[in-house]
Order: sequence, then structure tokens, then C-alpha cells
Amino acid sequence: MTAVRPGLAGEAPGLHGLLSELGRDAAAGDGPVVTVSVAGPDLEAAVRRLAAFPGARLADVFASGGNPAIRGDHVVLRLVWGLDSDQRYLVTDSVIEGERYPQLSDIAPAAFHEECEIYEQFGIRPEGGKPLNRVALPPQSGPGPALPRLGRAPAEPPAEVHAPHVVGGHAFEFPFGPVRQVGVESLYYGLVTSGEEIVDLYLFTWHKHRGVEWRMRGRTPREALFHVERTEGLGAVGAGWAFAAAAEAALGVDPPGQAMRARAVALELERLYNHAAATAALCQSTGLAVGQAAAEIALERLLRLNAAAFGHRYLFGVVDIGGVRRGPDATALRRELPGAYGELRHAADALLATNSFVDRLEATGILTQEAARRLGIVGPVARATGLATDVRADHPAEPYAGCPLAVAGAQSGDVLARFQVMLAEAAESVRLIGEFLQAGAGPGLTESPEGIAGRAGRSGLGWAESSRGEALAWVALDGSGRITRARLRPASVRNWRGFDDACRSQNVFTDIPIIEASFWLTVAGTSR
Amino acid sequence: MPLWFARGLRRGVVTTRYPARPDPSAAELPTPPAFRPDALTRELADRLCRVCPSWALTRNGDVLIFDVGACTACGRCREAAPAAVTASGEFELAATDPAHLVKRIPLLGEGAR
Repeated sequence: MTAVRPGLAGEAPGLHGLLSELGRDAAAGDGPVVTVSVAGPDLEAAVRRLAAFPGARLADVFASGGNPAIRGDHVVLRLVWGLDSDQRYLVTDSVIEGERYPQLSDIAPAAFHEECEIYEQFGIRPEGGKPLNRVALPPQSGPGPALPRLGRAPAEPPAEVHAPHVVGGHAFEFPFGPVRQVGVESLYYGLVTSGEEIVDLYLFTWHKHRGVEWRMRGRTPREALFHVERTEGLGAVGAGWAFAAAAEAALGVDPPGQAMRARAVALELERLYNHAAATAALCQSTGLAVGQAAAEIALERLLRLNAAAFGHRYLFGVVDIGGVRRGPDATALRRELPGAYGELRHAADALLATNSFVDRLEATGILTQEAARRLGIVGPVARATGLATDVRADHPAEPYAGCPLAVAGAQSGDVLARFQVMLAEAAESVRLIGEFLQAGAGPGLTESPEGIAGRAGRSGLGWAESSRGEALAWVALDGSGRITRARLRPASVRNWRGFDDACRSQNVFTDIPIIEASFWLTVAGTSR
Repeated sequence: MPLWFARGLRRGVVTTRYPARPDPSAAELPTPPAFRPDALTRELADRLCRVCPSWALTRNGDVLIFDVGACTACGRCREAAPAAVTASGEFELAATDPAHLVKRIPLLGEGAR
């Protein structure tokens, strides 16, 4: 299998050339994150330049500031760009005076979801009259205090995107959710259909909004980590690592090597159990109950192994600011992991030899490489389209920096490709866990929690390759080390925007659960 | 299908006998804390209330109120005061009334009163 890097269409002119073009007070250092201030009026030109830069992708857009209690507190718009070929992230800061900023999504379509979210949370919107959808805060029902938000309320409520119930007399909207089967998260599908084929599909994810980023303000990073791990329960290590790395960058803390390897062992265990859970969900959605049971046996063994190795089935409480709370039980891992992974591998081999299963996966839910690149898709979903994007390889932090990684890939972009990518990643995770244990993974903090809590901080960006893809976090601290703004961007935030594209590609109703299982996203992650 | 039938026969029963017998993996589970009243003072109770991230602990006079339903068994209280807090080992927490999940622990440590 071969894969190409996103947007790499020739020799990269180099980061320093780009920064000098952006000019201004570029504060480029030698570190993996470069921050540049771009004046509001110059933002559009800068975004056009960056969008055309080979190997650059818009990884996140968010805002800070804009406190309604502080007169003249302008909103600061931040764009995070992954410069994958340079193994760096570029963060641009732009002070927005007034309530408008350039239309970013016309230049970089991946920004549309964030434009909507920023409008709801901070009351500023892009130039032009493009309607902005409700994506974050539930609508206010009746009188009473408004839901807490990060900045000022928008002048007008966001648009509610509903398709007309009857389109041209043939297609109609089939509402599904937000309450679905037992155990499935709140999610509303607006299915536009002519009876069987999916003409269009849109999602409402705000039913599960919990205001996690709002709750984190005023807390120390260590206190906030509790919320971060619960942002997306199936991604506690990925989100926790990204947030801890952001806080460590802000505090100037460098975790010890054995603690970083312990984090990596936990992260790979998280990837393994998520891929096993996705396999079980694929069997359920294709009606293969025996295969589902086989995959769930593997899943249960992996969850018990998590508990034996780190004390928690879902690996909560492993990551800490400055290191890890506890190291892995290497003996339990060496004893149990081969058997648990073997269970998954045997189930997967049997599934791939079952024609009725493979037929349902092949050519279902196709996401093209062009759509994945345009929408900024990450993780196994992107890799299944041929984009070799993986922050473990593109932005390697310890211990991945010294450990060559085989990035799994496929080309067809369908459910089968995503399944095959997950299986290849599971094998690679087992290999990596063995290497990290061999090198020595154990507990450790760079200094005492009290010492870390007493430090003043600035701001920092952190990242990790969670089982769903790139998880990002950005945090700003005040002089006493408390959070003034925390931004969490789990991979689910990115990948839900590719789900409707995959569903529209010549699929019927019964394909939707199969496509959803192959994306293996959480609503909690996107509606944090 | 014969493939799956043969696999099932070969694999046998994998479910445990719980609740007839304790599940061996339960020993690995994090469980809510148990408090030693004779080691608890007002000052320590206030410290425990502050470290609890899910607001499962409050103090009312000389009583520490512990809402087991709000506890996530994160272990922060045990970490803060290992002499006064241990893991309860209880994970069967079902109750017919939420009030039954609220425990009142008297503060009997030296200088508590």
C-alpha cells in the first residue's frame, strides 16, 4: 500500500521563507511550534498564502479574549496550521477589532465548523452573508439565565439547518435521533431521502454540549485534566496527553523519558481497544452476531488488560502534568497482550474470510482523498483515503521521535479500507508497546505536583495521535498558573465533517450504521 | 457460517459466573474511597473536599458528607491523605433510592471538635 502526504506538491520552500513573507513580528524559534502575530486586516492574505503553502493544512481555528466583563477586551482569533513536511505547527494570532473577520472557509473549507462555533461562543462572524449553523450551544428554551459561553453572545441566533421536508415532491427529510438505541450517544441525523438512497445528511451534535472548555477556566492544569479526560471517555489518553503537553509547554516543564514511554504505552493500548470496539460495532451493524461476540471477547480482554496494567479499564488517571501518575505493569502486559491481540487478530482474519461481511464493507461510505484533504480529516479515516497523516510521524514527540513508525494506509476510502487501516495500526501498536516496555516505561513526574502548581505560565500547544487521529490542545495560563483559556480539539471534531460526505456517496439507509462504526467517532468529543 | 460455528465450539464459554461468583478482574477496578473517622479532622475534611474534582465530598459541621453516586473513584482523596482514606473495594453500588448513596462520616480525629 502506498500513501501520499497531504498537499505535498513539490519542493517545500521552507518555513523561514514563509515566515519572512508573513513578515511582521515573527517569533520563529527552533522549537516545534512557531507563533506569528498577523494584523486583522492582513489575515486574509496570510491565510491565502498559508493555504497554498505545500504540506500545510489548517488544523484548528479558535478564539480567546472577548470577555464581556472587560471593556475593550478584543477577541483574538488563532489559526493552527500543521506544517507536516517541516514537522512543525504554526500558530497565527490576530486581534479582531469589531465583529467581523475575513471569510476563512472560502479559502480553507475546513474552517467552516469553527466559524460557526466562534460565532456562537464569541459573537464575531466572517465577512459576507453566509449563514452560520448551530453547532455548539443548545437553543435557549424559555426565560432564565443564558447558557454560559466563552465570550459575548452573537447579535442574532445561529441558523437551524433543516432541509425542507419535501424537495421537488420526491425527497423528504427523515428525522432520526437525538435519542437512539441504548448506549449510543445523543445525535440527530437529518436524513434527506427519496425512500432508500441517502440524498443528503446533516447532523445536530449540540444536544450533548457540556461546556467543558468553559468549566476549565480558573483551574490549574492538574485540576482541569480531570475534565479533559472526560471530554471523550474513549480517548482519555489522547486528549489528556495533548492537554498535558500544552500545559507543559506553557509551564516550561519537560517530563522524564520513562514517563513519556508510559504515556505512549497507554496511548497504544487505547488505540488497540478502540479498534477492537470498532470491529465489534462493524459486526453489529452488518448483522454478524457471532463475529460481534468474537470481537467483544477481544475487547473485554483488552479492557481488563488496561485495568491490570494501569488500574483503569479506560485508562483514566494515567497522564499527569509533567509526567504520569503511574507506570504500566510490564509483567501483566507481556503476559496478557499477545493473547488479547491474538483474539482480535483471529476474529479479524475470520471476518475478512466471510464474504457476506466483506461485501457490505466494500465500496460503502467512500470518502475521497480530495474531500478528506479539503475538510481537514485526520486519523485512520484520512489514512484510508491515501493521506499519510499521522502526528506520531509528522510531529514526533518523545518517545516516537526515536522509533520509526510504519504509517498504515489504504487508497479506496471505503469502510473496508478503514477497517484494514485499523487492523494494520493494531499490529503496529503491539510492536510499539513491546519496544517502549523494552526501553523502560515507568512512573515519574518532572517535579512535585505542588511545584508545578506554583509555577506561572504563558501559553502552549500540545498534540497526540489518538485512536481517531490528531488531538490538539491549546492552553493559556495567568501569572498564578491558572487557566484563562483552554481549547480542546479532539479528532472527532474534525472527522464528523467528513461523515456526511461518506454517507452521500451512493449509500442507502442501512449503510449508515456501518459507516458510523468505521469512522468510530464520539459525539462527546465534538460537542464538548 | 460453518467457520463461525466451528470457532464458537472451539472457543467455548467465555462469560464469567458473576454475580454467582466474584469476577476476578474486579480486583483491578478503581473503587470509591472508605474514610477512617478517627483520622478525620475539619481541616483534613476541607482539604479532601477541595481535591475532589466531582464535588462528591462536602462538610457540614463535624460531618463529612460523601455522595458515592457523584464519586468517580479517581483516587485523588486517597492520594491526598493515605492515612485517612483507603480504597473501599466496593463496586456494586446499585441502590433503590439516591439518598442511600449518601454517606455521613463523623469527624472523630484529634482536634475535630
